[in-house]
Amino acid sequence: MSAYLISMATYAGFFMILALALNLQWGLTGMVNFGIAGFYALGAYASGLLSAKAGWPLGIAMPAAVLAGFLAGGLVALLSIRLREDFLAIVTLGVGEMIRLIVLNEDQITEGPRGLRIEAQPFHAAVGPENYPLFYLCLVAVFVTITYFICERIRTAPLGRTLRAIREDDVVAGVLGKDVFRHRVQIFAIGGGFMGLAGALYAHYVQNISPDVFLPMVAMFVWMSVIVGGAGNNRGLLIGAGTVIMFLEGTRFIGDAVPRLDAEKMSALRIIIIGLLLIVTIRVRPRGLVPEPKFAFEPTRDAGQPARSTP
Amino acid sequence: MTLKLTRRSVLAAGTATLFTPAILRAQDGDIAVGSLTPNTGGGGPFGPNITASHKRVADAANAMGGILGRQIRLFQENSETNPETAVRAAEKLISVNGVNAILGTWSSSVTLGIMPRCQSANVIQMCTSSSSDIPVADEKGLVFNFQPLSPIWGRAIGNLVKERGIENYALMALNNDFTRSMMDGFIEIVGTDTLLVEPFFYNPQQASYRSEVTQLIADDPQAVFIPSYVTDFTAVYKELFRQGYEGTVITTSLATGPQFKEAIGDAAEGIIHGFPVPAINSPAYKEYLGEVGLEDTGDVQHPFGTAGRDQMTTLLLAIEKAGATDGPTVAKAIWDVTTGEGGTTVYNLADGLEALRAGEEINYSGASGSIEFDEEGMVLGRDFQLSEIQGGDDVVIQRLEF
Repeated sequence: MSAYLISMATYAGFFMILALALNLQWGLTGMVNFGIAGFYALGAYASGLLSAKAGWPLGIAMPAAVLAGFLAGGLVALLSIRLREDFLAIVTLGVGEMIRLIVLNEDQITEGPRGLRIEAQPFHAAVGPENYPLFYLCLVAVFVTITYFICERIRTAPLGRTLRAIREDDVVAGVLGKDVFRHRVQIFAIGGGFMGLAGALYAHYVQNISPDVFLPMVAMFVWMSVIVGGAGNNRGLLIGAGTVIMFLEGTRFIGDAVPRLDAEKMSALRIIIIGLLLIVTIRVRPRGLVPEPKFAFEPTRDAGQPARSTP
Repeated sequence: MTLKLTRRSVLAAGTATLFTPAILRAQDGDIAVGSLTPNTGGGGPFGPNITASHKRVADAANAMGGILGRQIRLFQENSETNPETAVRAAEKLISVNGVNAILGTWSSSVTLGIMPRCQSANVIQMCTSSSSDIPVADEKGLVFNFQPLSPIWGRAIGNLVKERGIENYALMALNNDFTRSMMDGFIEIVGTDTLLVEPFFYNPQQASYRSEVTQLIADDPQAVFIPSYVTDFTAVYKELFRQGYEGTVITTSLATGPQFKEAIGDAAEGIIHGFPVPAINSPAYKEYLGEVGLEDTGDVQHPFGTAGRDQMTTLLLAIEKAGATDGPTVAKAIWDVTTGEGGTTVYNLADGLEALRAGEEINYSGASGSIEFDEEGMVLGRDFQLSEIQGGDDVVIQRLEF
């Protein structure tokens, strides 16, 4: 059982990094990114190919994956010069699918639909197979923590205020002399880098990746993590990603508890229950489990004074 | 309406989650077996039959007092035909339920996706997948495939259509491992000289296949071979029809099921399709129809459900034979109960158990085929059948029997 919880916590870790990255791009800066699966795939394949095919050590291959995500994020953001909101959403969805289709069709390099086997795992020899899952969880936790602190730092810094201003009204931010475009590219690239990191961690964990893994469905789960957790709030996201994994995986146990239900009905029922849980969560807490401080209700002590804004 | 989320309530919920699964573990002494089938997604039409077969055999074993005096506890999970979901489901089966085998994976990407985890936990895998990478990735000899690898499909279809005197072909395949390797097998038989255009691949879920089809029939080949699944083939075939192609269309039977015939109607006339079929004359197949409550129509029914029955039966017989439940020991016993000469041929679990307990050597012959494995755990010799759609029905035109 504990092996299972360790494994699920590791998966939740991947989702947390992705959710933090998306929060940076969308929750904070207001740039819609539906192409998360593409950046995730890019990171996974960059690190996987460099280590499995080019024989690079992981110490270089995994940072290379972050760099790949960073550069791709920057390039996609360049497109956003004239695109925003729903148009950007369509472009990013397209980019995500493009990356997946390239991976699928360039099979001389990526092994295409056959899937890529990756033997290498960071520090595997030093840790040994016995404690490896726990070690990997700690490794992922360290990266989640680093990502969290970087994101949190950006949010509370003056830069965070600028980004929120861009999110609320980019014209106003521009009129105030902020370089809206530069900030957008910056943040999209950083977000892309984090997604690449998540991909690299995922690839070396499961050790077998194929284009089927990176369907747009993954992006939807990350979006759900952000929405359930509370857009704009990094702490909420960590809870959101954990909650989504709990919904996805916890529902599996219903089948074991009710053995009379046949497997076919159970499968459909489980997916319905996941949907219902998400709907109920959003209905009960429309701004997420832990809303952005801005939206948290704070009664003022002195009715005469305006409420103070929180960082 | 708002919900108060305090540190205390989060802690309580977390602790509760940690403890729930403890109730759900198999009772001590039960043999836990996992079934991971595509109940939704691309394999949705086939998964439910497979997992229902697993359950039926497990229930039968329990009714007979179990295996090695222990009850079988079956844990059923849905792979959603998606490797991303499947690895987590497999993790649950292995770590929580403590299964010693995972049966019923269908898509090659799922079978390969869960393989690293299964290998490290010494868990047996039984699948109906076709990727030729499966035996390569199976380093511990724990994987048993109940379906011929797809190059064999391609070669069989190639042999059967060659006899029909077709002189030139054009080929395109859905871009996945299964269909791509099938195309290679086909080319091996018909030879590259007979191909009018360079074979190419198309991507799933496209809105239109117009340019692909135009390229395919540019030189007006006598026949086109399109290894595919039902959703994409329906779209491709509509386009072929629209462009007025008059030659022979050849594909896999997976693509031309009832769903296809309903969508296409009369225009489906004359399509030739083939796939490995259950040995419809074998006693085990007839027994299977009885167990499911189907009538023997002489047609192929439940191509994967039959394999599901054979997977579970083989596993349980091997456990009985091995006298142990750990993966590597049982895996060795799987060859003993299925492959080789000399044993008593049995067609179901009950007869097999009886013979084993009487100290006899057995050879299980299944509903999906005679079930003999090569040294890599890939099934040998399944019947192969080529059919033609005539008047909305499949008419068998040729059959290769083993």
